[in-house]
Amino acid sequence: MNKGHSAPAPPATTRVPQPGNGSSRRGFIWLTFGWLASLFALAASGFATVRSLVPNVLYEPSRRFKAGRPTDYPDDTATFIEEVRLFVVRKGNTYRAMSGICPHLGCTVNPAAGKYPFLCPCHGSHFDPNGAVVSGPSPRGLTWHAVSLSKDGRLVIDMDLAVTHDKNLAL
Amino acid sequence: MKPLKQIWQTFAGTRVGRSIFRVGLPESNLGRMQAMVSSFVLHMHPAKVHRHSLKFSYTLGLGLISLYLFLILCITGVALMFFYVPSPEHAYNDMKDLEFVVSAGMIARNMHRWSAHLMVLCVFLHMCRVFFTGGYKPPREFNWTVGVGLFVLTLGLSFTGYLLPWDQLAFWAITVGTNIAGYAPVVGKKIQFVLLGGNIVGESSLLRFYVLHVILLPAVAVFLIALHLWRVRKDGGLSRPGEPDVLVQQSETGQLSTSKTYGLMELARGTSPAVGLKPEDEVPAWPHLVFRELLLFLATMAVVMFMSVFWNAPLEGLANPTHPPNPAKAPWYFLGLQELTAYSAFWGGVAVPALLVTALVALPYLDRKRAGVGVWFARERRVAVTIFTICVVAAVVLTVIGTYFRGPNWGWVWPWAASAVTPH
Repeated sequence: MNKGHSAPAPPATTRVPQPGNGSSRRGFIWLTFGWLASLFALAASGFATVRSLVPNVLYEPSRRFKAGRPTDYPDDTATFIEEVRLFVVRKGNTYRAMSGICPHLGCTVNPAAGKYPFLCPCHGSHFDPNGAVVSGPSPRGLTWHAVSLSKDGRLVIDMDLAVTHDKNLAL
Repeated sequence: MKPLKQIWQTFAGTRVGRSIFRVGLPESNLGRMQAMVSSFVLHMHPAKVHRHSLKFSYTLGLGLISLYLFLILCITGVALMFFYVPSPEHAYNDMKDLEFVVSAGMIARNMHRWSAHLMVLCVFLHMCRVFFTGGYKPPREFNWTVGVGLFVLTLGLSFTGYLLPWDQLAFWAITVGTNIAGYAPVVGKKIQFVLLGGNIVGESSLLRFYVLHVILLPAVAVFLIALHLWRVRKDGGLSRPGEPDVLVQQSETGQLSTSKTYGLMELARGTSPAVGLKPEDEVPAWPHLVFRELLLFLATMAVVMFMSVFWNAPLEGLANPTHPPNPAKAPWYFLGLQELTAYSAFWGGVAVPALLVTALVALPYLDRKRAGVGVWFARERRVAVTIFTICVVAAVVLTVIGTYFRGPNWGWVWPWAASAVTPH
């Protein structure tokens, strides 16, 4: 196929382009196609493997759940619901829900006796009544979650819905 | 001793014996070298080894001890797998069964736990040894980076194993540890989610950590260990002072010589390998190396056994996702990082570990001068040694503070004070 080659050219009938020899256009296309197909197959199975490890369904406690009746929570206190690590804060007839999970490394904050009401035992982050960081390494304040009322008169807390600290459910 | 030797020789002389061992018990130096080359178990050793490489004061045996601990971990780990189901319903009860129901179960678990801690320690010390003796310099740069990979892998193996007992200690150590991973930029939260298989440490986290711990990470470790050992041989054995430069030049031209005149393994890398090699400084690996190795294995085994008989691996109450212990601590080798996260989550969780690993990988490519190789704390390497020492001391001090001096609310406690928390 190389015109400058000194050897006699093979008869025309035998000049079948060999895929992969890189010297003919058809060979080049086959080679490119072959490489692309192989790379795609590899990339696709790699992606599928990684994707399969990202769970689609979580068998965890529901992030949106029914808490007690509004009257179950004493006035002017933050009541801790242990299973979901969350405080229900009642002030008069307003209800708010604050996460008890420290945003720093995931420990549970405790109501503290000192100047600031919430304290993380792991690295000593202090939070004020609005959940804002007063001191310590926590990069953000505690998260507030949306509270609503169900038809049967119970509080519904949605832990996937973050709200500002002043947003409340007034009854 | 003599009748034993006679029995051995009689057996090695039979048809079956000869078919297995090829050469009998070596009687001459030639036989000793043939034994090394012809035996599968021994063939990763050189036929002859330099006297300097045999000095305990040079290597402290740390690489070999790490390897032995890995073997002990594999064997005890498989033994433990017979009694362990990785699910929140069973895991903790299986731990209790190992302690109270299975014969010698507690010993197996203790051996596994203490070997794991010792391995983290030995791999770290081995890295320090190689640094302080300049062992990462050309032609051994790549093997150093393989070693860094093995160090990270050792931490990963230990960390994934930490969750499996499913007690309070395990649960909260992994909660804190994976939250540290969550601070990595961009992908951090995603990695944390995939690693845990959810938002919290739960059923799928336990299964994932189990699979990583018993097959994925060990498989990678076996490969890297094999590569690491193979490279030790190919890079000319252990580093030592006055190595012939032929090894270095060879690696710098990037190709192996094809005009090798004789093939006595990798001693002969250039065309004139004997120049400067001083064969009189070398002794047959059998028995000098092989018997030292056996002795070191026995010593390692004795220490692990001693610890396992006298100290039980800790097991706290069943994991309770609602009640963290106070303080909740990561595994001890991450407590230096946790101490840093108490000041800044970004520095402790992201910047410092990333910088450290990057610096370790880049080190042999930045510090290329072949001065002071094979000597502890060589004067020519004063600057490098000082910097590394400062880093090591900082890491040790932070870890010790995190382990012994941090009590409830991560407040400062003196280890001898009544309120101090017993470390694990």
